[in-house]
Amino acid sequence: MQPPLLQLSNVTKSFGAVRALKGVSFTLHQGEVHALLGENGAGKSTLIKLIAGAHERDGGRIEIAGNPIGHLTPRQARAHGIACIYQQPTLFPDLTVAENIALGLETPSIGRRVHWKKRRQHAEMLLKRVGAMIDPESEVRSLSMPEQQLVEIAKALGAGARILIMDEPTASLTQSEVALLLNVVRDLRGQGVGIIYISHRLEEIFAMADRVTVLRDGESVGTHAVTAITQAALIRMMVGREVSAIYPPSENEPGAPVVSLANLTCGASGIFEVNLEIREGEVVGLAGLVGAGRTELARVLFGITPADSGTISLSGKFVEVRSPRSAVEQGIAYVPEDRRRHGVILEMPIAANMTMAIHPVFFPGAWLRLDAERRLALEYIRELGIKAAGPEAPGGSLSGGNQQKVALARWLATNPKLLILDEPTQGVDIGAKAEIHKIIRHLAKNGLAVLMISSDLPEILGMSDRIAVMRGGRIAAMLGGGASADEVMSAALGHEKEAA
Amino acid sequence: MDATIRVRNWKGLRHELLLLAVLAGEILYFNAVGSRFGTLDNLFDILRHSTEIGLLAVVMTPIILTGGIDLSVGSLLGLCAILFGKMWRDGGLPPLTAAVCTLLFGAMAGALNGGLITVLRLPPLIVTLGTYSLFRGLAEAITHGADTFTNFPASFLCLGQENRFGIPVQAFALILVAAGVWLMVHRTTFGRSFRAIGFAPEGARYAGLPVDRRVAFSYILAGFVSALAAVIYTARLGQAKADAGTGYELYAITAVVLGGTSIFGGSGSVHGTLLGVAAIAVLSNGLVHAHQPREVAGMLTGVLLLLALCGGVIPKLVAFLRARSRHPN
Repeated sequence: MQPPLLQLSNVTKSFGAVRALKGVSFTLHQGEVHALLGENGAGKSTLIKLIAGAHERDGGRIEIAGNPIGHLTPRQARAHGIACIYQQPTLFPDLTVAENIALGLETPSIGRRVHWKKRRQHAEMLLKRVGAMIDPESEVRSLSMPEQQLVEIAKALGAGARILIMDEPTASLTQSEVALLLNVVRDLRGQGVGIIYISHRLEEIFAMADRVTVLRDGESVGTHAVTAITQAALIRMMVGREVSAIYPPSENEPGAPVVSLANLTCGASGIFEVNLEIREGEVVGLAGLVGAGRTELARVLFGITPADSGTISLSGKFVEVRSPRSAVEQGIAYVPEDRRRHGVILEMPIAANMTMAIHPVFFPGAWLRLDAERRLALEYIRELGIKAAGPEAPGGSLSGGNQQKVALARWLATNPKLLILDEPTQGVDIGAKAEIHKIIRHLAKNGLAVLMISSDLPEILGMSDRIAVMRGGRIAAMLGGGASADEVMSAALGHEKEAA
Repeated sequence: MDATIRVRNWKGLRHELLLLAVLAGEILYFNAVGSRFGTLDNLFDILRHSTEIGLLAVVMTPIILTGGIDLSVGSLLGLCAILFGKMWRDGGLPPLTAAVCTLLFGAMAGALNGGLITVLRLPPLIVTLGTYSLFRGLAEAITHGADTFTNFPASFLCLGQENRFGIPVQAFALILVAAGVWLMVHRTTFGRSFRAIGFAPEGARYAGLPVDRRVAFSYILAGFVSALAAVIYTARLGQAKADAGTGYELYAITAVVLGGTSIFGGSGSVHGTLLGVAAIAVLSNGLVHAHQPREVAGMLTGVLLLLALCGGVIPKLVAFLRARSRHPN
């Protein structure tokens, strides 16, 4: 029997202390479409980067057509016939289609003339193979998104690709464009190309994949023929874990509404007609896939990208949020996702970081009160259990979890009505994570309204009193705190849960 | 963690001590070779000649702290000197009124820089490179490149040429402005904001700081003080010409960077800048007394600046070499 086109056995990869892949095995046969599924952070991108040579594996075996491969660089991966098609085309927009295709193929050498005609014919031939009616002489910038994707595929084929990795190729395509692309994928399968297909759209996977492998927490949960599995079963495989009991329970009854959003829209950020209400003492989890518009919604609420239309009301009064400054004045606090760029100023002392949002209140007349600031910082250091050398320690000298607590302290000092937390425990170690959860719960108990964005499903399920699920810039579903992982995932993916 | 903070504070202090040592070395050397260098008269001479650049450097400091730069201050000085002369001679305004109008104009010119930078989100280097040409061009257009304003009344000239309470009159302006800006940078939330913006402009915005207002303010202040420097310059020389203050922006930036302010923004101090101004001023004055040609001053200033920039690298290099010698290879 012919050896598989690509075989990964027990590959591992760690980034620092984070084990992204904990021994994954994966097989791709000739003429097979093998779908790869998993939540955000399950290890899909790490896996394909290992295959494409962008990361080096820590352990395990990779065999291509039966030959063991040692060290794999991106260049060697290409030489072995591995090509990657990403969500966003990576072509040069100002060059023609033929030039773009030739770029990767012709070896440049001084004194050799360009064979324009040969180049053109080659491009034509490749474009025909992917069934594209595109003039090789047209500029790439004039092509539509799917056309550009076809050029990418033609380019990969020109480079002799036998293994094609497609990372969410349909994420930015319309329904009819998707159908076109899927036909091309089927054609390629017929030509013997092996395709690794990553998509969140389950219907695509059922429409054309042969087999599907589900990753979860850096491990392979299983590989199945698509004919032998249901959508519901797939979703269960993706989210599978039991929600751990470490989450502190909600202790209080939510009070009066603090925030209500009505038809909030911001076209530039892709946020449409969001209606949401958060009550006193309530933690509302905001779930959804990457790109669903969760952070964008937070940025609208915080005035970084002000809304075009719709209303925000706080404690029953309509408020206008035109800038972060005005958001702070209204009592909205936002602990951003990118803590190192936005949450904490790494070069400045943590005491200065903590008072940064309360300058007008804490320093009347703009005069610094360094002693008072120091006392405030010491108080938060004690209250939140921040591990730091002292109030003068620069933010950058702290660990991720402690930086997050400093960011939190900055916003607690503003005494907000609404606290928006964006991925509050991302990149934070387990211990600090549990502490942050406890702090959030404590804040809610004291009457704060909390909107918590998280890609960590157990966190959403464990912490939320209610769960808002976003998809395509809208709230796709409002679920109760007792919702199951399947329900959240189905809403995020856009599927009604099948009646089991 | 503790060690990094100590190193940080020590590093800031070390730079200033190093600069003080350079200054002391300059003074000792020139005192030994120049006969008139060590006199009180010469000290006042240095003060008189460095007041305008000192003013520009002091207000350049907050701008560079925000990660910006203002190349237009020298040209604005020239334009303001011309406007001041024009308002006094052709407009018939008394010198005091003309000076007040000039200061207001300077603030407006600074607001132009600040507005273009914050509203249109253009890079400060490009905006002020444009106004650098614009302001100088306007000054030349007003004077047709030939007109010079002279014969100012003695009551005005005393601002630049006489002593009060035993020290040059313009020194009071420098002391006042330097003290004010020092307090602002080191003791108020304005200074905090400048640094935060310089370290992380996005981070400052996410903290709810009024980033645009603070940045614009730093340029308006620079415009205002450039106009003050123009008035003092006119009083010192007794004349206003379109080429007044040519190249001053570069002296000011040199002094700021020499004084330990990071050109990338965030860290730095006003007292460092003053030490930088002093080091440059003493050097160029001392070389005259040592009978060296003027070009040497420029060369040595350049060497000084490069050494100051490399200064941070030298301890690292020493540590590296020491580690190497301990563990050969």
